[in-house]
Amino acid sequence: MDMPARAAEESASRLDRMIPNESELTAGVRVEPGKSYGFFTDTTLCIGCKACEVACKEWNNLPADNIGLTGQSYDNTGALSANTWRHVNFIEKAGTCGLRENTQSPFQSGWLMMSDVCKHCHNAPCLEACPTGALFRTEFDTVVVQQDICNGCGYCVPACPFGVVDLSELDGKAHKCTLCYDRLKGGLEPACAKSCPTDSIQFGELEDLQGRAEKRVAQLHELGASNAYLYGAPGSPGATGDLGHLNAFFLLTDRPETYNLPAAPTRAANRVAPSLGTGLAAVAGLALAAFALLSGRD
Amino acid sequence: MSERLATELGPKQPPVPPPTASQASAPGRSRHWEGPTYYGRPQVKAAPFNNWVVGGYIFLGGLAGAAALLAAVADRARGPEAAPTVRRGRALSMLAPTLGAGLLIYDLHTPRRFYNMLRVAKPTSPMSIGTWILMSFSGFSILGAAAAAASRWLPRLSFLRRTAKAAQLPAAVTGAGMTTYTAALLSATSTPLWAAAPRSMAVRFGSSSLAAGAAALSMGDTGRVGRTLDKVALLALAADLAATCVSHNTYRRTGVAPALEGDWGKVEKLGVTGLGTLLPMGLYAASLARGRSPALSTLAGIATLAGSAMLRVSTMAAGDESANRPDVSFRFNQPQNLPKRPSRWFRR
Ligand code: SF4
Repeated sequence: MDMPARAAEESASRLDRMIPNESELTAGVRVEPGKSYGFFTDTTLCIGCKACEVACKEWNNLPADNIGLTGQSYDNTGALSANTWRHVNFIEKAGTCGLRENTQSPFQSGWLMMSDVCKHCHNAPCLEACPTGALFRTEFDTVVVQQDICNGCGYCVPACPFGVVDLSELDGKAHKCTLCYDRLKGGLEPACAKSCPTDSIQFGELEDLQGRAEKRVAQLHELGASNAYLYGAPGSPGATGDLGHLNAFFLLTDRPETYNLPAAPTRAANRVAPSLGTGLAAVAGLALAAFALLSGRD
Repeated sequence: MSERLATELGPKQPPVPPPTASQASAPGRSRHWEGPTYYGRPQVKAAPFNNWVVGGYIFLGGLAGAAALLAAVADRARGPEAAPTVRRGRALSMLAPTLGAGLLIYDLHTPRRFYNMLRVAKPTSPMSIGTWILMSFSGFSILGAAAAAASRWLPRLSFLRRTAKAAQLPAAVTGAGMTTYTAALLSATSTPLWAAAPRSMAVRFGSSSLAAGAAALSMGDTGRVGRTLDKVALLALAADLAATCVSHNTYRRTGVAPALEGDWGKVEKLGVTGLGTLLPMGLYAASLARGRSPALSTLAGIATLAGSAMLRVSTMAAGDESANRPDVSFRFNQPQNLPKRPSRWFRR
């Protein structure tokens, strides 16, 4: 990405004040209410440094989850949780489906890394399930839990098709990535994207990101990486089952399941009408039968 | 450990590497998942509900709703002859606003904020729909029970009797909602076992509630209404059994059946279907064949009630197991399991 013109005006770090619309300098995009923002996570650029995990923990003041080793490659974080809103997956495999195959053991060249995050779904099942309105859609088209409303019913947890949102044992409320709602309000790029040293995590306006992602896929195909594809962009895997698109979408080079992602997730709320309708029809039928039995003489 | 290759420890290689990106998610149609998982870690999170507490509420709420519904039906069909049944129905319907609501609030992780559910009504959230079903059912059944009790003290005030009668119909309608909305609540999640069979699970919950309601109303009732309610229970158990067969067929087709291989799956098959459905069906049939034996019918009623309670607890626990098994959720979330026609209910 070219250096934004305004960056020249801010040559030295100045700690005494906030830079207005700083996101323009760091991500090349001005954050304005009413527009759709998201993340494009290009896993081919991820080096597994976990800067995003650390930046997220620091900015959001989140406690550590697992102090210890999992024995699962370099992934000692394990999973997204109430206290972990960015999580870097590590998958060690030989070659990338025939590309750059080598016989080293342990091998390095086919090491897949992916920084996972809340997808900020277009038709977000967590938001649709929330019975208190604590989960809401912000003016930046992101999905956020209002901590002062949540009563910890936990229904958003099984509703999420990606296993993202989680209840905290510490305060009995649901927590997940806010796409740095507070930073967006202040014109800042989200902490993870700003800290990503390879631009594997890109923050921006959704349409813009989707266009960039298409180009990146085409470029990778040209380079011979024919297995690159988008997950969560409109019409691609992940954006299935009436979920619409995902505001945080990914470029992957192996099957979604390799990265612990479902191939064809669905929108949970679509099951309400069939379930209620069929159940009530059956109960009505049985009640009518009961009426017939009871009013008959025997 | 050091001798083994990292491939053996890490996620399994896909059986056939995807030739192109667009086919990157098309494994076989076999019953079991053959593709990779991420170190066997769950792909979705299991519901943080206490299965005994919430399962207990689903049972009690269904029982209360069905009792109110059947009592209203009996009253319409039999009039004064059904008066004892109507009284029992009122008593049973009190389970929902008292113990049932208590259990629900107890299961919240921030219980003092339970009232936040009363500030919102959302058609996409069965928990919100259910909040209002429970609220209105509770209101109508409390009104009916209070008016009926008061009219016993003040028999000259006829409006009390009329109020009790008038509350019957709305209590019956919302009671029907109480018997089934809980199935919609579980199905409208990403837990594979609950999401796989939304229709037949709702029929199971509804008919199991009606069987439990009929069983509770008929137990110890030696009159004609009691005998007929035994038949109603038998019919509802038969409907439950049919829906169970359909559910299991759907579980096999969508690949979530392996989630029922564990202990809770056994409880579901042997406990719920065997001891909680087939056994009481046999007992009711035997009792009715002898012109109603009170002992057999009571035994059948107890088995029906226990089976109805265990249906909810085992469904919840087996659902958690399905969520914790990535092989089940990956197999379930394959394109061939996507609904054929996308729903047009909630457009955004
Ligand atoms: S990924 Fe899960 S938590 Fe994030 S918006 Fe979608 S449903 Fe909600």
